[in-house]
Amino acid sequence: MSDLLTDVLSGGVRGGTAIMLAALGETLAERAGVVNLGTEGCLLVGALTGYAVAAETGSPWAGLVAGALAGAALALVHAGLVIWRRADQFATGLTLMFFGLGITSLFGVAYVGKAAPGFAPVEIPLLSDVPVLGPVLFAHDPVTYLSYLVAPLMWWWLRRSRSGLLVRTAGERADVLHLHGYRAGLIRGGAVVAGGALAGLGGAQLSTAYAHAWFEGMTAGRGFIAVALVIFAAWRPLRVVAGAYLFGALLAVAPVLQARGHAVNQFAMDALPFVITLLILAVIGRRTLRAAPQELRRVFESSSSN
Amino acid sequence: MTATATAPRDMLAGLGRWAAALLGALVLFALLLLVKGANPLTVLWGMAVSTFTSPPTIEQIVIKSVPLILAALAVVIPARAGLTNVGGEGQVVIGAVAAAGVGLWLDPSLPGPVVLVLLLVGGGLAGAAWAGVAAVMRLTAGVNEAVTTLLLNYIALDVLLYLIYQPWKDPEGSGQPATRPLEVAARLPLLGTTAVHVGVVLALVAALGTWLVLRRTAFGFRLGVVGGNPEAAGRAGLPVRRLLLAAMLTGGGLAGLAGAIHFAGVEFKLRPGLTTNIGYLAFLASWLVRHRPLPVIGAALLLAAVTIAGDSLQLDSGLPAATVHVLTGLLLLAVLGWTRRKGDAT
Repeated sequence: MSDLLTDVLSGGVRGGTAIMLAALGETLAERAGVVNLGTEGCLLVGALTGYAVAAETGSPWAGLVAGALAGAALALVHAGLVIWRRADQFATGLTLMFFGLGITSLFGVAYVGKAAPGFAPVEIPLLSDVPVLGPVLFAHDPVTYLSYLVAPLMWWWLRRSRSGLLVRTAGERADVLHLHGYRAGLIRGGAVVAGGALAGLGGAQLSTAYAHAWFEGMTAGRGFIAVALVIFAAWRPLRVVAGAYLFGALLAVAPVLQARGHAVNQFAMDALPFVITLLILAVIGRRTLRAAPQELRRVFESSSSN
Repeated sequence: MTATATAPRDMLAGLGRWAAALLGALVLFALLLLVKGANPLTVLWGMAVSTFTSPPTIEQIVIKSVPLILAALAVVIPARAGLTNVGGEGQVVIGAVAAAGVGLWLDPSLPGPVVLVLLLVGGGLAGAAWAGVAAVMRLTAGVNEAVTTLLLNYIALDVLLYLIYQPWKDPEGSGQPATRPLEVAARLPLLGTTAVHVGVVLALVAALGTWLVLRRTAFGFRLGVVGGNPEAAGRAGLPVRRLLLAAMLTGGGLAGLAGAIHFAGVEFKLRPGLTTNIGYLAFLASWLVRHRPLPVIGAALLLAAVTIAGDSLQLDSGLPAATVHVLTGLLLLAVLGWTRRKGDAT
């Protein structure tokens, strides 16, 4: 039984890392007042670029950096269109999702079934011997270990640093920034691009550390799960981590049970994260939405009345 | 495409902008093909020739545009009331699932045409119910409908997969799991000697009807008032909540109908990947023409043509079919970048 729990939880961390990185990126963008539905596209270009660069250079670390850059580049298009051209955020995001899907299948054919050096699990001495917690947290690839740092750093940065305050203000009261001589557009753009880089990193983790392969559409909706997760987590980085591992664990339950010979329908499990998010929103909907950055609420409320 | 533009000059300017956007997108696409090592002229020429010169592919475009038109109307109507329905995909899926359910339940025991009518109605009702979940959550818990409809898309997809991998799986089917196919008598009849099913008539009637209702009826006018300023609408005594609910249910019903028509006119059985992003493409189609019901037909035809061109791309040039999403994406990005939103002060 504890074996089963360990497997599910460890699978949750393994499979939840890409979702977590993408969701933290989305958190950053949304705290600055921009919704990026193109996160799915950022994950995809990150996954392909990461894998391709790892294959070409022989270094998965180079792949990781390239993946983050690719995600940032796609997010830059989003930022440019919604901030500079005031394009509709939902429509632009969805368009970038399609664009990411297309461009990665065009340039990805060459890498389907091609081997590339990836990240292997490294057990951390001593820590990995701790029962349950050891295998769950300390028997992973180096990227996963790195990802442990992202959320606490973001939490601290948003809360304590001057630039973090600027990002939050861009999301809450952009007019105040203007009064103090800051350009809200630039700050927002920076947050969106940085968020895209995190999603690209998540994509690269998916291809070079999790799946060890590239295939068309390999992110399978994780970017959208990430967007939902940000709401689920009420725009707080630390809650995003908990949510990502929870969603990751739910996705890991069915394969783990199947490996033990139990017949489970994968899809009933797959729907659970979404159903849970909906139920939570239904119960604490108003409270959750009150936690939303002001400027973001404006986006949600005005997107269709153009 | 710009049938509702106010003056010929606006129409020309509109067409010019579209042409520029299309051209810009094509040039970028050609550049990407060059980078990839393909000859862009051969690829584009091949795409255009095999897409637009043969009647079967033109028929394919029309068929493809049917669910797109209906699902785009499912964005148009809520948008009039100020609601964002990003849940077309889920509503289409649930519509197809309900249609298939009616088929499996009643199919040979009732005459085909009766089954057909019932499954279309069932699909519409299911789509309305699916959108209704989002509407009720908005009205009772204040949860934004863009968020809930997006989440409901994934649940709908999992419902579909759950059903075809277990309870509804055709034991005689081989390969990809799917349901038992719909009896021939219960499928949508074809128009004359063409390969186009009568769903196209339904889609056109729906677009025209939506235009009439939004433009000529008190209901349509009230929706516009609620969308413009819900607070003022409430103070003026309009039943705001009921109007929001009605807009969302009608929209969901149309998307559900799109799913049912796609099922009874093209697919005949449920399979994974049945909807191929119809809902998301339809959202973009509606957005492209600023949520106006008649131009939606043109936008849907355009996106359908690009999608069909993608299939010929795969056959002629050996590039993956999804490559065409690059062109769709670039085209939409060009339009998004070219047009400014009206009434945005800051």
